[in-house]
Amino acid sequence: MMLGIMLLLVLCISVGTRLFSNYLPSMWSVFNWESVVSFLLITVFTTIVAAGSVADEFTAGTIKLLLIRPWSRSKILLSKYVAVILFALLQTVVLYLFLLAMNALLFGYDSSAASDTIAPLYKGTAAVYFIQYFFYEFISLIVTATMAFMISAVFRSGGLAIGLSLFLILVVNSFVGLFAILNYAWVDYLLFIHLNLVQYLNGTPLREGMTLGFSLAVLGVYYVVFVALTWFVFNKRDVAA
Amino acid sequence: MLSFEDAVGYNVNYVISEGGCFISQPIVQLQNVTKRIGKKTIINDLSLDLPVGEVFGFLGPNGAGKTTTIRMMVGLMSLTGGEIKIDGYSITKQYQKAIRNVGAIVENPEMYKYLSGYQNLIHFARMIPDISDERIEEVVKLVGLGSRIHDKVRTYSLGMRQRLGVAQAILHRPKLLILDEPTNGLDPAGIRELRDYLRQLAKDEGISIFVSSHLLAEMELMCDRVAIIQNGKLIDVRGIKQQGDDGAESRRFVFEVGNVVEAITVAAQLGQKAEADGQSAIAIEADRELVAKLNAAFVEAGVSVYGIRAQGKSLEDQFLEMTGGEQIV
Ligand SMILES: Nc1ncnc2c1ncn2[C@@H]1O[C@H](COP(=O)(O)OP(=O)(O)OP(=O)(O)O)[C@@H](O)[C@H]1O
Ligand SMILES: [Mg+2]
Repeated sequence: MMLGIMLLLVLCISVGTRLFSNYLPSMWSVFNWESVVSFLLITVFTTIVAAGSVADEFTAGTIKLLLIRPWSRSKILLSKYVAVILFALLQTVVLYLFLLAMNALLFGYDSSAASDTIAPLYKGTAAVYFIQYFFYEFISLIVTATMAFMISAVFRSGGLAIGLSLFLILVVNSFVGLFAILNYAWVDYLLFIHLNLVQYLNGTPLREGMTLGFSLAVLGVYYVVFVALTWFVFNKRDVAA
Repeated sequence: MLSFEDAVGYNVNYVISEGGCFISQPIVQLQNVTKRIGKKTIINDLSLDLPVGEVFGFLGPNGAGKTTTIRMMVGLMSLTGGEIKIDGYSITKQYQKAIRNVGAIVENPEMYKYLSGYQNLIHFARMIPDISDERIEEVVKLVGLGSRIHDKVRTYSLGMRQRLGVAQAILHRPKLLILDEPTNGLDPAGIRELRDYLRQLAKDEGISIFVSSHLLAEMELMCDRVAIIQNGKLIDVRGIKQQGDDGAESRRFVFEVGNVVEAITVAAQLGQKAEADGQSAIAIEADRELVAKLNAAFVEAGVSVYGIRAQGKSLEDQFLEMTGGEQIV
C-alpha cells in the first residue's frame, strides 16, 4: 500500500515532467530528484513500520500470546526485526527498478557518465552511480529503522516511537547543517551528521575532514548500541501488557 | 491427589517419592514464589502443587495477585524469589521445554483484530511444530465458533474472543491449560459449555487445568480443588466435592415448619438437637436418612412441614469468611 502510494507519486512526477517541460531532460536528472523525494518517503514509511512492529503487539496485548510459545524472546525479536529490514529492502529495490524502467521509457535511456548530468565529480556511469546512491541510502535507512525499532521495543508505545523517530529524522535532520558548522569535537560523533552518506558520492562532505570510513564506523557503533539495547531490554523486562 | 489406577490412564511422569511408592509428579510446582515490584510485595512466598489431571481453581478478590502469579507461570514476568516448575522443567532455566506443555490465556483474550479468527489460529499454529489443518478445524469445532471463525476478530463479541482464546490455548494439545478468568464475558450458556468442556478435557485427555476467577460459585462447579489467595499470600487449599458424591455426610438442613417449638421438641425426642432458624424454621445437623426420619416424625406429630433444604455452606460463604470480606487494597 505504502509502496503503491510512492510509486504513484513518482509516476506522476515523471509523467508531469514529460508533458509540461519545454525541453527534454535526461532521465537521470528526473531520476535524481525523484530518488531524493522517495527516500524521504521510504524513511518515513519504514520508521512507521519499525515503530509499530513491537509496540503494536504490546498495545494490542498479542505480545503475550507470542511470548508464551516455545520460542526464545530473542528469536521473536529477531523475526520482527527481519520483517522490518525486508520491508526496507523491498521498497529500496522496487523503487530503483521502477525509477529505472519508467524514466528510461519516458525520457529514453541515457548511457552517459554521471558527471554529465547529476554528479560532476563522480567517475562512472549514471546507472552505477545510482546503485551506489541507493546502497548508501539503504545503510542510513537501516540505521534509522533500527533506531525506531529500539524506541518501539524499549518504550512499548507505537505512538511515541513514531513521534520520536519522525521528529529525530525530519526536524533534527533539517538542522544538521547548523550542527555541522559548529566547531566542537563532539559534533563529529552525532548520529545525524553521518546519516547522509550520499554526500561522499559528490565529494563534498558536510564537515571538513570527514571521510566515508569514519561515517560508517560511527554508524556501526550506533547500530551495535541500538541492537544491544533493544535485545537487552526486550529479554529482561517483565511483560505486563 | 490421584490414585495410581486413575493416573495410569494418563500420560504421566512418575517419580518415586522418598517413601518408595509411586506418586505422579505435580504438573506445576510453585516453590516459595515471591514477586516484588519496587517496594511492593505482590506475591509473598507462595507454594503450591497442581496434581495432574485436575481442574484447579485459583481464587482471590481483585488485586490478590492471580494474574501476576499466572504471568510468572508462563514466563512473562520474572520471579523475585523462588522457583516455578512445569512438568518438572524450571520456567526460568528451561523455558522452552517448560512452556511447550502450556497453553494459556493471560488476562484478556487478545488477538490480531484485523485478521479472521482462523487466520489468527494459523498464525499461532505456525509458531509450534506439527499442527495440522485438521487440528485447527477440530479445535474450532470444540469451542463452537462455527462459521464465524472466518470473520474478522474485530467483529467478535467478548465471548467469541474468549472462545477463540481457548482455541488458541489448546491448539497444541498442552498438558497444562492456564486460563485467567475464562468465564469473563461469557453468557450463561457459554459458561456452562466452557465448564463442561474443561471438565471433559481434564477427564478424557488428562489435561490439567489452572483457572483463576473471583466467581466463587463458578469455581465450585468447575474445580476439583481450589486455592485461595489474598494480598499475594496463599490462605487455603481445599478439595471440592463434586455433586453426587455427597449425601451420606451430615450437613445442615433447614425445615420450614408450622410450629417451631413443637418441631424442636419432636426432634429432641429423636435425640437430635435442633435450633430455631427465624420465626418459621428450624435448623438441624443431619444426614439423608435422618432427614427422612425427622420428616416422618414431624408429620406424625402433626407439625406441618412446608419445605426442607440443605444448607451447604457455599464456597462463597467460606471464602468471604476466610478473606474476612476485607477491603481489597
Ligand atoms: N506492573 C505492576 N506494578 C506495580 N504493581 C502491580 C503491577 N502489576 C500488578 N500490580 C499490583 O499487584 C497486585 C496484584 O495484581 P493482579 O493483577 O495480579 O491481581 P488479580 O488477582 O489478577 O486481580 P483481578 O481479580 O482484578 O484480575 C495489585 O495490587 C496490583 O496493583
Ligand atoms: Mg487478574
